[in-house]
Amino acid sequence: MSDFNVTGAEGTVSIKPPPETPKLPPRLWIKENLFSSPFNIFLTVASTGILLILGRGLLSFIFSHERQWGSTATNLRLLMTQAYPEEQYMRVWVCVGVIFTLTGLSMAVWNAGSRVALRRLGSFLLSTGVVIDILTLLAPFSSSATIIWLCVGTGISLFGGSLVKFSDEDKTMSVLTVTVIALAVAILSLWVVPYGHHSFVFERTPRSLAEAGTVALTTKLPWTIMLLIGIAAYFAGKAIREKVSQNVLRVSVLTIWFLAPPALLYLVLRDPDFDMGHVLNTDIPIFLVFAAVGAGLLFWLTRPTAGELGKVIAAITLLIGFGSFLTPMRMIIRILILLLAIFAISAPTFAGDTQTRRRYSLGWIGVSGVTCWLVTAINTPSTVEVPGSFFIGGVSLTLLIAIFTIVISFPLGILLALGRTSTMPIFRILCTWFIEFVRGIPLITILIFFSIMFPMFLPKEMEIGEVASIVIGYSLFSSAYLAENVRGGLQSVTRGQHEAADAVGMTTPQKTLFIVLPQALRVSIPPLVSHCIGVFKETSLLAIIGLFDILYIARNVIPNQTEFLGSVRENLLFVCLIYWILSYQMSKASQRLERRVGLGER
Amino acid sequence: MSDTPTSTSEKVLSARPPLWRDIVIIKWVTQVFLLVVVLTALWFLTSQAGDNLKARSISADFNFIERPVDIQLSEGIDTHPDSGGRALWVGMVNTIRISLIGIIFATILGVIVGLARLSNNWLVRRLATIWVETLRNIPLLVQIIFFFSILTVLPRVSLETGPINGWFHISNKGISMPRVFLADGFYQWLVVVLIGAAVSYFVYKKRKRIHDETGADTSPVLWALGVVALFGILGIFIHPIFSWVGSIFGALASLFDSLPILAPQLLLCALSVGLASTWIIRFIRKNRSARGHLSLVDDDWFRIIFTAAVSVAFIVLFVRWTGFSSWILNSGRDLFEVIESKFNVDGAARPFDAMRPDIVQPGKFPNYGSSGLTMSISFAAVFFGVVFYTSAFIGENVRGGILAVPKGQIEAANAVGLKRSHALRHIILPQAFRVILPPTGNQYLNLTKNTSLAIAVGYSDIVQVGTTVFNQTGKTLPVVGIWMLFYLSCSLTISVIVNWFNVRMQLVER
Repeated sequence: MSDFNVTGAEGTVSIKPPPETPKLPPRLWIKENLFSSPFNIFLTVASTGILLILGRGLLSFIFSHERQWGSTATNLRLLMTQAYPEEQYMRVWVCVGVIFTLTGLSMAVWNAGSRVALRRLGSFLLSTGVVIDILTLLAPFSSSATIIWLCVGTGISLFGGSLVKFSDEDKTMSVLTVTVIALAVAILSLWVVPYGHHSFVFERTPRSLAEAGTVALTTKLPWTIMLLIGIAAYFAGKAIREKVSQNVLRVSVLTIWFLAPPALLYLVLRDPDFDMGHVLNTDIPIFLVFAAVGAGLLFWLTRPTAGELGKVIAAITLLIGFGSFLTPMRMIIRILILLLAIFAISAPTFAGDTQTRRRYSLGWIGVSGVTCWLVTAINTPSTVEVPGSFFIGGVSLTLLIAIFTIVISFPLGILLALGRTSTMPIFRILCTWFIEFVRGIPLITILIFFSIMFPMFLPKEMEIGEVASIVIGYSLFSSAYLAENVRGGLQSVTRGQHEAADAVGMTTPQKTLFIVLPQALRVSIPPLVSHCIGVFKETSLLAIIGLFDILYIARNVIPNQTEFLGSVRENLLFVCLIYWILSYQMSKASQRLERRVGLGER
Repeated sequence: MSDTPTSTSEKVLSARPPLWRDIVIIKWVTQVFLLVVVLTALWFLTSQAGDNLKARSISADFNFIERPVDIQLSEGIDTHPDSGGRALWVGMVNTIRISLIGIIFATILGVIVGLARLSNNWLVRRLATIWVETLRNIPLLVQIIFFFSILTVLPRVSLETGPINGWFHISNKGISMPRVFLADGFYQWLVVVLIGAAVSYFVYKKRKRIHDETGADTSPVLWALGVVALFGILGIFIHPIFSWVGSIFGALASLFDSLPILAPQLLLCALSVGLASTWIIRFIRKNRSARGHLSLVDDDWFRIIFTAAVSVAFIVLFVRWTGFSSWILNSGRDLFEVIESKFNVDGAARPFDAMRPDIVQPGKFPNYGSSGLTMSISFAAVFFGVVFYTSAFIGENVRGGILAVPKGQIEAANAVGLKRSHALRHIILPQAFRVILPPTGNQYLNLTKNTSLAIAVGYSDIVQVGTTVFNQTGKTLPVVGIWMLFYLSCSLTISVIVNWFNVRMQLVER
């Protein structure tokens, strides 16, 4: 291995692009790719037929005058957030704004966005225009609509064609700019086109099925602001990047990303009604005591010379933590003691010089603070008044459950994978049995079990919401699959790495944390991302157990509204579209990520 | 003088560290501690559940299996089951039915999709890509419900619905087509075919030997298949002469009837001891070093003791639980009696028969009768859903597997002058199959588990039936337990089969 690296100094190694296949002129290309042999000709004819029939069928389904697209357009808010109160809707927009800001900021911080050649962009636009033209000819439009759409398609292809023809070979454009332009066009169309205004079909007089402008009127201003906020955040991020060191910036942005979901959920969306007296009298003192005592203890424990006394103290803390369940006390205290015990046990792993020790203690203060705040926020009643069991539904609920499940199952899955590859038999057997058991049964049985039976397994005084118990069950399920993905990565770490870590005298936790896991996780990025997509897709199962997710609303709620009776298929198509766009974008993003971290190149 | 430092360091090396620093002891203490914590937590949770259930006066026993229930299932081997256990059994059969059919069709479609993605034809390639990217990125449940919502708005049943009137119908009651079924003479015919299979084995061997010796193209597989087909056709005419085979099974049935309970017990105990000891002996042999010393770490001892304990537990189980042994005897007797009765056919019965779909009108609404092969719309929705969805994944596996065959292999095959079909059969496919099989086995597992989504469209699979049962009886925990056992055994069966193929494929390797 060393031989290779010595000769190829860093940076000089360049991966040769595959030799460009010479571009064939169109007529030859068609002959080569479509009509090279009798069988090939048959395939071409057959698949053209299939495409035409499918396209015609789909388009005449979509644009049939029996379709009630108004049911989707009018109920968009229901599909997105269920019955979130109208007068507090500002909160939802604040959440979207925070996400847009963070996205813009991260794009600047991570220097995202490659450049795309104008010619490629042009050829993409060209083919898009051609596809629009073909679809227009297939669709059962009235003649005026056909002419309008043909003009649109031809216009786009002409623009693309002129880009291909007249732009320079090496002229490029940032992908970000392209995306922003596309978004801007989409948002501009909110101002111009009356969505929910269903016309151009069959009849010559436009017929409105939905209230004209139901989509556009209420959302055009917020979306415009969102776009502007995103762009502003991007440039702000660029400005900050010049001044602050890269690492600090990245770590802080990542931290904000991790804190954003619970903060948005419990602080913004749920609008908790804090009992300030209780907070000042009980919660803050508890936090202060634990922060001070814990920080001192950890600062002492991380001394390199702490030795066995440190381990004994850590073990005692752990025992106190478990013992605290025997006597009645506040749940927050038990949680904090257990957390402190975990920090104390892992203290030798992070031992070092004074700066390291100070950082470790500060980390404890941060973690305990976040924990205290979260527990307080969860225990505070909400002021958002919504009919139904949970204050939010639709796409938001889907995203919420997916995000919380992934975040919870990540550490669980890594622990399970480590346990399964451990040399200690009892750990290994427990983890293996758990993983294989969970992987053997379908998700729906777990969800049914957790939604009906899980509250039964808790003490009488503990109450747990349906959504929370489902997230717990779903996380357990997901962690088993995640563990298998991580295990694949763990097995790819070569023996030499373990031996090298042992040779420089690392302890097992140090070896696992600093040597093995980073390499293993890097290898398992592709399966982990596809696992996340799977988790997102399978949230649709919530509809079966009766949570108001987007599928349930589309299938069981909207078709029962008196004005849109039986409009199931329209809404299901819309649900398909939403899931498809999100999953497809995620899988494309994961492919870019793979290329970026250079998987498969080393 | 020089002795002193050596002996000290030896002393240091040989002395065991104190207990709290001994890594072996630390490891075991940690593990036992964790085990205790896990067990305590489980005990705490189950005791809470027991209290809570008692407070609501629900009992978690399995009585409902025998008790009558009032359930009507939409389809299955028995639409009015008389007990909870029978209802769950119908659900299991339905799940197995849709999984098996789904696996077969998903494989066929998946291979087509995978090959289409590698086609020379640009349009076919594009079409396959659209297929894969669309189906993979939409949740299966949404697809199933979408198919269902399309099927429900199809026209009502009448003899004129359908692409081929009288033969093939599509309506909002389902899809119905002619059915080929086993008739009375089938089992006698099967005997003829089995004889044919034995003959074809020898033919295969012979042709193969000639091929290996002379290199001539003797196509042994074709010959073997031809012999089986020949016997199959022959069997249609000569099968009545094999009606005496039934008496053999009759003799076996009476043998099982006369055996004492001790016989299966002894057999099972011997099997358990034999398996455990074989495993332990093989394990010890594997861990013996070249010089013949055993080097067992505590983990290995744990495995050996665990195996022995499991085998002892099984012996105790078999000895104490006489019901199981007598069940084996009884069911063996019943099985052979049933087979014997299948041979009691007088005269020349046909081995197969076929019927066209018919339409009956018991009440107000017409429906399909039982003579055709009918897919209800629930079945069709789940079936199309899982088959299309899985075909996209299997297609990707197939594509990946074929791309994984090194280009040099294909070039080498061309260089030695193999025909394209031979190169595909002997060079590319065996290597690709090795890559394709493990992930495809996983997809089969997923497909089986995904059929549980049938609950959303009302197909009576085990989850749907189980939900109905526990809604009526309140026995949620037992039903969930039965679900888990059922799905675990399905998963286990599939992975055993896939692993068996996998091991066989890997033996081909050098």
